[in-house]
Amino acid sequence: MSASTRYCWLERAGEQATLFLSGTWHLPRIAEIDAALAGAGMPASPLTLDGAALATLDTAAALALLRRIAGAGASIERLANFNVSHVRVIEAVRARVGDATVEAEPRHHGPLAVLGMHAMEFRGLMEGHLNFFGRSAAALGEVALRPRALRPKELAAQFQHVCIEAIPVVVLATFLIGVVLTYLFGLQAEKYGANIFVVDGVAIGTSRELSPIIVAVIVAGRSGAAFTAQLGTMLLTEEIDAIRTLGLSPMQVLVIPRFLALVVALPLLVFVGDVSGLAGAMTVANPLLDITPTTFIERVHSELPVIHVIVGLVKAAVFAAFIAMIACRMGMTVSRDTRSIGINTTSTVVQCIVSVILLDAFFAILFQELGY
Amino acid sequence: MNAAPVIEVDSIVTRFGAQTVHDGVSFSVLRGQVAAIIGSSGSGKSVLVREIIGLLRPAAGRVRMLDTDVWNASEEELSALRRRFGMMFQDGALFSSLTVAQNVATPLIEHADVPPHLLGALVRLRIALAGLPVEAAGKMPSELSGGMRKRAAVARALALEPAVLLLDEPTSGLDPITARAFDKMLRFLCNDLGLTILLVTHDLETLLGIVDHVIVLSEGKVIADGPVKEVMGVDDPWLQSYFRVRTILEGAANNHGT
Repeated sequence: MSASTRYCWLERAGEQATLFLSGTWHLPRIAEIDAALAGAGMPASPLTLDGAALATLDTAAALALLRRIAGAGASIERLANFNVSHVRVIEAVRARVGDATVEAEPRHHGPLAVLGMHAMEFRGLMEGHLNFFGRSAAALGEVALRPRALRPKELAAQFQHVCIEAIPVVVLATFLIGVVLTYLFGLQAEKYGANIFVVDGVAIGTSRELSPIIVAVIVAGRSGAAFTAQLGTMLLTEEIDAIRTLGLSPMQVLVIPRFLALVVALPLLVFVGDVSGLAGAMTVANPLLDITPTTFIERVHSELPVIHVIVGLVKAAVFAAFIAMIACRMGMTVSRDTRSIGINTTSTVVQCIVSVILLDAFFAILFQELGY
Repeated sequence: MNAAPVIEVDSIVTRFGAQTVHDGVSFSVLRGQVAAIIGSSGSGKSVLVREIIGLLRPAAGRVRMLDTDVWNASEEELSALRRRFGMMFQDGALFSSLTVAQNVATPLIEHADVPPHLLGALVRLRIALAGLPVEAAGKMPSELSGGMRKRAAVARALALEPAVLLLDEPTSGLDPITARAFDKMLRFLCNDLGLTILLVTHDLETLLGIVDHVIVLSEGKVIADGPVKEVMGVDDPWLQSYFRVRTILEGAANNHGT
C-alpha cells in the first residue's frame, strides 16, 4: 500500500491500541477510506485515535470511522493530536449518529390486503363520483333557474378549446377509419360481388358506433386530461380556495362551463366525424370497388336511416357528460403535491375511456331492446 | 487561509428587457463566514443568487466561487463546482415524488461512490445534521410542514459535503421559534463543520443573531457591505427604516408590558 492511499494503521503498545489516521478523509474517497478501515484490524477494546497526520475530515468520513469502530466492537477512548475543527466534526457526527440508527422500514402488505385496499379505494372513488354528479346536477339546476349565473365568456372559451381546436385531429382520425374500414370490408365483399353493400356497412358502422367511440376517446385524452390538469393546478395554487373565499361557487365558475361546453361539443364533433368517415370511405371506394362518388352518396342517402345518426349523437352527449364529470372531479381531488396531478390526469383518461366503452355496451343492448 | 474569499462577485449587471436590476454589484464572502444579502422586495436578491450558482447569466460582470470563474468555466469545471456547493431554494424544491430520504440520497447516488452499507446511515446523518427527526426520512415532501420542508432541502443541499451553502430566504414563512432554531442550525454548520454560508433574507432577527457580514442591495447597487454593527450606522433612508422596525417593535412590546 503506497503512502498516499494509506488512510489508517494500527499500532499496539501493550494493552493500548492506537489507530493513526492520515491523509484526506472526505466524501469523494469514502469507498477507499471505508475499505481501509475494514482492513485495519481493529481490536474489540477501547482505542486511542491519533489525528496528527490528518489533513481533512468531513462528516461522511467521520461517519464511516465511527461506524467501523462500533462495528468492530471497539470504542474511542481518547482523541490525540487532533486539529480542533476535526474534533468538532467528530463530535457533531457522534452526537447525531446515536439517534440515526433506527431503520425506517416501509411496511409491506400481503396480496389479499392489497386487493382489499384497492377494492376500498375503488368504492371510495365511485362514492365520490356519485357525490360529485349530484352536486353538479344541483349546480346545473341552479343555472337553469337563474340563467344569469351562466358565464357566457367562460363557456365560449371552453367551447373553443374542446370543440373548434379538436376538429383537425377528429377529421384526420375518422377519415382514416373510414378508409381502413372500406378497404377491409371491400376485400371480403368483392369475393361475393357485393361491392355496393360495403357502403351500407361503413355508413351504419361509422355513424352509429365508430365515430362516437373514436371521437369520445380522442376527447377524453385531449380535453379530459386538460380539465384535470387545469383544475388540479388551480387547486394546488389555491385558486379554487380563492374562488370560494370570494363567495363564488367553483362548481358554477369552473365545472358547469366545462360540462356544458363538452356536452354540446362532443355531438358536433361526432357529426364532423360521421361526415369525415364517409368521405374517407368514398375516397377509396372509387378506385378499389368501382363505386363512383355519385353512387356512393345516393346509396348512403337511401340506405342509412337517420335513426343511426341520431343514436350516435345521443350517445355522444352522454359520453361527454361522463367525461366532463370524471375529469372535473379528478381535478378537484388532487392532493397537494405536483405528483398527484400526473397520477390524477392518467386516472382521468383511463376512467373516461373505460366508462365510454361500458356506456357504449349498455347503449347497444338498450337500443336493441327499444328496437332502434 | 481563513481570509480567502470563497465567493467573489465583480461588477454584475443584470437587465430584464429595459429594466436594469443590478448596475455593477460587487462584494465578496470570506471562508467560514455567514453572509447575508438584504434589500427591499424586487431589488434582485434571488436573481443575484441564481447568477452566483450559474443558473442565470448576468449581462456583464464576473462571479468566482471556490476559485472557479462561474461564467467562463467549462462544463466539467462547472459540474465539479456544483458538487462543492449546496443550494436551498425558497420553498425547498424537493422532488415531490420521492421521500425525504430518497431526496437526500439522490445526489449521493449520482455523484459519490458511497459503499451501500454506509448510504442509509449517511442519509440519516444528513437529515439529523439539518435538524430533522429520523421519522421524517420516510415521509413525502407533501406530508411535511413548511419548516420541515426547508430543513429537508438543507439536508439535500448538505448531501455532498459542500464547502458553501446558499439559502434563499431560509426563515420566511416560519414562526419565530422555528426560525430561531433554523438560525442556530445554520450557525452550527458554519462553526462546527466549517461551511461558508450565503443567505438572502428579510429576517432582522437572523441578521442580528447569526450573520457576520451583510450586503445591502438597493436600486441595483451595493449601498453597504460589512459587519452588521457597521451597516446599522450607514446613513441610508431605506436601511435606517429597516433597522428602525426593530426599535418600534420593542417599543410596542414594552408599552404593552407596562
